[in-house]
Amino acid sequence: MIEKKKAESILNKLMSTGGSFSEIFLQKKVSGSLKLDDGKIENSTNGYDMGAGLRLFFKDSTFYAYVDSLDFDKLMNAAKVLSAAVDGSSIDRSLDLRSLSNDFRASVLINPSDVEPSIKRDMLFDVDKICRDYSSAIIQLTSSLSYSQEDIFIANSEGIYTEEHLVKSILSISVIASKGANVKTGYKSMAKTCGFEMFDNRAYEKPAIEASKIAVKMLDAVNAPSGQLPVVIGPAFGGVIFHEACGHGLEADAIIKDASVYKDKIGKKIANKIVNAVDDSSMPSHFGSYKFDGEAYPSAKNVLIKDGILLNYIFDYKSAKKLKGCQTGNGRRNSYRDIPYPRMSNTYIDVGNHDPAGIIKSVNKGIYAKEFAGGQVDPATGDFVFGISEGYLIENGTITFPIKGATLIGNGPEILHKIEAIGNDLDFAPGFCGKNGQSITNEVGQPTILVSNITVGGTSL
Amino acid sequence: MEKNNIIDISKSAARLIEKRSMREYEIYSASSVSNDIEIFDSEVESLSYADEKGIGIRVFNDKAVGYSYTNMLDERSIEQCIDSAILNSNITHKDEYNHLPQDKDFCYSSHDFDKSILTDDSFFKYGVEDKILIAKDLESRAKKIDKRITAIDTLIYSDSYSNVSIINSDGFEDSYMTTSSFIYLNVISKQDKDTSTGDYFWAARSPKDLLIEEVAQKAARRSLSLLGAKKIKSQVLDVILENFVSSQFLGVIASVLSADSVQKNKSLFKDKIGEKIFTLDLDIIDDGTMSEGFASRPFDAEGVPKGKTDVFHKGVLKTYLYDTYTARKHRTKSTGNAVRASYKSTPSVGISNFYLSPSETDLASLIKSIDKGFFVTDIIGLHSGANPISGDISVGAKGIYIDNGELTYPIKEVTIATDILTFCAKIEKVASDIKFVPGSGYLGSPSILVKEISVSGI
Repeated sequence: MIEKKKAESILNKLMSTGGSFSEIFLQKKVSGSLKLDDGKIENSTNGYDMGAGLRLFFKDSTFYAYVDSLDFDKLMNAAKVLSAAVDGSSIDRSLDLRSLSNDFRASVLINPSDVEPSIKRDMLFDVDKICRDYSSAIIQLTSSLSYSQEDIFIANSEGIYTEEHLVKSILSISVIASKGANVKTGYKSMAKTCGFEMFDNRAYEKPAIEASKIAVKMLDAVNAPSGQLPVVIGPAFGGVIFHEACGHGLEADAIIKDASVYKDKIGKKIANKIVNAVDDSSMPSHFGSYKFDGEAYPSAKNVLIKDGILLNYIFDYKSAKKLKGCQTGNGRRNSYRDIPYPRMSNTYIDVGNHDPAGIIKSVNKGIYAKEFAGGQVDPATGDFVFGISEGYLIENGTITFPIKGATLIGNGPEILHKIEAIGNDLDFAPGFCGKNGQSITNEVGQPTILVSNITVGGTSL
Repeated sequence: MEKNNIIDISKSAARLIEKRSMREYEIYSASSVSNDIEIFDSEVESLSYADEKGIGIRVFNDKAVGYSYTNMLDERSIEQCIDSAILNSNITHKDEYNHLPQDKDFCYSSHDFDKSILTDDSFFKYGVEDKILIAKDLESRAKKIDKRITAIDTLIYSDSYSNVSIINSDGFEDSYMTTSSFIYLNVISKQDKDTSTGDYFWAARSPKDLLIEEVAQKAARRSLSLLGAKKIKSQVLDVILENFVSSQFLGVIASVLSADSVQKNKSLFKDKIGEKIFTLDLDIIDDGTMSEGFASRPFDAEGVPKGKTDVFHKGVLKTYLYDTYTARKHRTKSTGNAVRASYKSTPSVGISNFYLSPSETDLASLIKSIDKGFFVTDIIGLHSGANPISGDISVGAKGIYIDNGELTYPIKEVTIATDILTFCAKIEKVASDIKFVPGSGYLGSPSILVKEISVSGI
């Protein structure tokens, strides 16, 4: 996207007034989306984005500028503006960029932009039919298919440059079912860092049926209980509990700001000893995976918690420097418009040895929370919530009635100690995570787990 | 400013579209220049400058719509964008309602909208250094309020000036400029082993109108007042939602008032026009023209004039919110509620300045009127806990317990749960303290008293 020599001269210009680190991030992105709603293709959109973000460190401050262009003169101009904002002593540097590579290769078999629009349309019609055929209670559905194909070039003043081509494909399905005045919803998505081969063999049939099943089952939902109960949290998207209860608090920018309950906890026991937790950005084709993070550091598997002991935080370049830690490949950014921050990638509670059916059987009176609508945390206090979108009552070890949507609320450090059983059925689910105004792709994951008690926000006393 | 202004870019794109024999089209273009400043420990944590520009092209090809956008504004890239839009129109649904808005579709006639309310000239007098000083000033004020304030979680100043223009093949051509400054503070306070956070913000057309002291005081109070909070027993309580919180609930209600949701069976307000939804005689208004409104515009995202719409009057549902397409489908007129998040999105139905009218009663008398209750000052998880389609709501809450009309001890780690229609029916009082929250639209609500809400704790 840019000649090495030109990148070098921009980086040198940035550093000319005494900065300690400079970086160029170039991005070219083609995206597309197709939406089927109310039985019709309502929308078909394509987009073309291109731009560059320049970053400069001086003391503890980050200076950032971005332009909607890859034009050398415009970048040089932005570099002048940034370097002028810094008033250190001028230093002459000469830089020699070398390329960095590792063995993660995103293999793309079918480029989404090569797929005929009519094939994409027919796929959504097929999804629509699968759902509507599932039950006559289904009165509406919205499905959308989207993708992005991007080229990223990063070079920095430490002499590193990387190039990466990333392709992501996403299908989401929202179903509405009704019975009398009672209306319920079901949602499922599939999303990966790969091309449209993700949909081979009508792989979308499973999420379409799942979403339909949830909406229809929830029509019979009774009021959720209110108060503290044991909760069995289902695999895959259930991992949102770890993402909120712990993950965000391990992001090192929160540690620096003294805005995390996990500050000064490295080497200490923060969870029940059966808990092992990992952030792994290098798992091929997972939605939160990449070859390099948003600041050219290679992706990696980072064990966060081992046998209940906190081993490490989630770092980007700046926080690693400041806390004298090592970068973990988690400096992520939404686009060239954004400053990177420490962010999770694919974060999960690792596999345990309990039989999931046995976990449910062990509960006398509680909740089985199977699917979630998402969650939120205040890392400074550790207080977090997550919303159940498909849940059931457990009575005498048996799943009985579905319950209406309810929020679970708890405190991160307390909950981690209350994880009493971990299943052998580890699975993952894709999603988007928002922080500092940036939405990025990631995955959560876990096997079935049992939390001994957590507050369930229902209406039934 | 720039010699290549966005209207000129749009016009040259229009010529390229006409070369491809597309007769009906619309070009939406937007540009903005913005500054973000984050302060930490009395220093600039980050400072960013941004300058962006892009266009979105919507073609109506034999009653089917195609869309494409780009921020690459050279001729070849614009041609690629046009070709994509045309290609997209080949697979979308054909519909008799799919064409550009015309005068007869307008609910509000074109009016002399005073565009000067969208900008403040003093905005441009502030340099980056001035803005850094404002942000640092806020930090030092907040830290001085109480020694239990131990850290600043987030302090962000951000501003922008933006231009938006729309031209279409029916000869519509107009644009407007906006300026905005925003400051946000989230403080952390500690006492014994307890930690608490509290945030507040201010939005204005110019940095000169940011009420720094008020932001510092409110954020500090919101944090300090919750120190030592505990869980309470699950019970049914009368609840007062502070303005900051009630406006978020109002946002959930707003999301199902769009005609699009109604027409697609996604709204629990379907077939309820003329019904009394609120027990109380309250008014809810969508006003796209109010002078202090951050969502005020001369025209909406497809060029339709904006106006003032009474959505609920004396508790009765009067109308849904419409864009051109949904209005034609309901054989009515567009209320000027087409919105777009940016040039990257096609128009859809959304709110403008959307608010619940305040009363003359102050918040203190609302609190006094309750025997036992919960004054909710913050909620968490509305996004995952409110389902506007089924109507179920369950969110995390913190606040202060009310006993005998007095605020007593702080409460945390509980949830409040209800459903939208019950919630509407159980609003018993509305206070005078309206506060607007910017987001998608500009939502405003005073504090409200809601009877008998389920609170879950221990």
